Amino acid sequence: MRRFVKENGLGLFFGTLFLATVVAQAFVGHADFNHQQLAHHGDPVSLGRYVVSSDFVVDVLENWQSEYLQFTLYVLATVWLLQRGSPESKEPGKEGGESDEDQRIGPHATERSPRWARVGGLRTWLYSNSLVLVMSTIWVASWAGQAVAGRVAYNAEQLDHQEAALTLAQYVGTSDFWNRTLQNWQSEFLAVGSMAVLAIYLRQRGSPESKPVGAPHASTGTES
Amino acid sequence: MRAPWLVVALAVALLAGGCGRDADRAEVRTVTDRFYAALDGGDGETACAQLSTDTRTELESQEQKACPEAVTSVEVEGGSLTRVQVYVTNAKADLESGEAAFLSKTPEGWRLSAVGCTPQEGKPADIPYDCKLEA
Repeated sequence: MRRFVKENGLGLFFGTLFLATVVAQAFVGHADFNHQQLAHHGDPVSLGRYVVSSDFVVDVLENWQSEYLQFTLYVLATVWLLQRGSPESKEPGKEGGESDEDQRIGPHATERSPRWARVGGLRTWLYSNSLVLVMSTIWVASWAGQAVAGRVAYNAEQLDHQEAALTLAQYVGTSDFWNRTLQNWQSEFLAVGSMAVLAIYLRQRGSPESKPVGAPHASTGTES
Repeated sequence: MRAPWLVVALAVALLAGGCGRDADRAEVRTVTDRFYAALDGGDGETACAQLSTDTRTELESQEQKACPEAVTSVEVEGGSLTRVQVYVTNAKADLESGEAAFLSKTPEGWRLSAVGCTPQEGKPADIPYDCKLEA
């Protein structure tokens, strides 16, 4: 047990943080929702009703979709794009999908390689792109969920102001949908871009996200 | 793989709870029908009981009369319900005459916040309906 925790600390730490913060978000979101309800002489809702409401779901999903988009794009962009001096970048000359030998697939796979890396064909192609495929699927699903939940929350506001409700197709063309989307995207792109660039000059001793403290600014990726 | 399951769970939660439950829909129908039937029958007391507190107060303030007396002078066309839309704590009921009524979930249940509403010129999603009685 102790060994399991030690060997999986990163996943467990962030998994726990995620659960704690999503529960905290539910509590404060519920309080905020009921504050608005009382301000409009409306009926306060229970916590159970709130966490299945579109108001909570859209607030959760609009953040999820942007996170998954960020990491999907980062994984994809770092295949081809370089950042000289950044530990987040590959070394110059290694742009692209690299050779089968470098990637240890097909005949270059070792005994310990995953089976789908060895077998070739569609399965190896799928496995070679599985990270981006899964991450982008989660991104699309959560973005679609944001649209569905966002429309319901938006329509509640519309009816509150005696305005007509919108269809899903109409909603995805509204400033509300794109404001929710872009306010999250811009912050993700800023964070990931600044991380790639700041890591050229700045260090965090002991972190694999950083170059060794004494590594020169010009060294890129894992080169020394 | 925790995240994909949470996406599915949230999607289910959304479908189950986000889009107007049957009980809400039924109550919206009942309250709207009861209001129009009461007005038809000249029963101001029952009609007023279907209005939200804010709407009743607004009506009394406008007409300088008690609600049961004032509400019978509101000229609405009514008709049978053709469509009910419920979104979280707000709802809209469309009537055969082309008029619409808006409702809110209040501590007393679903109550009418605006009646005798018709869309104004322009996009009905951008311009509030013109209502004969509203809070």
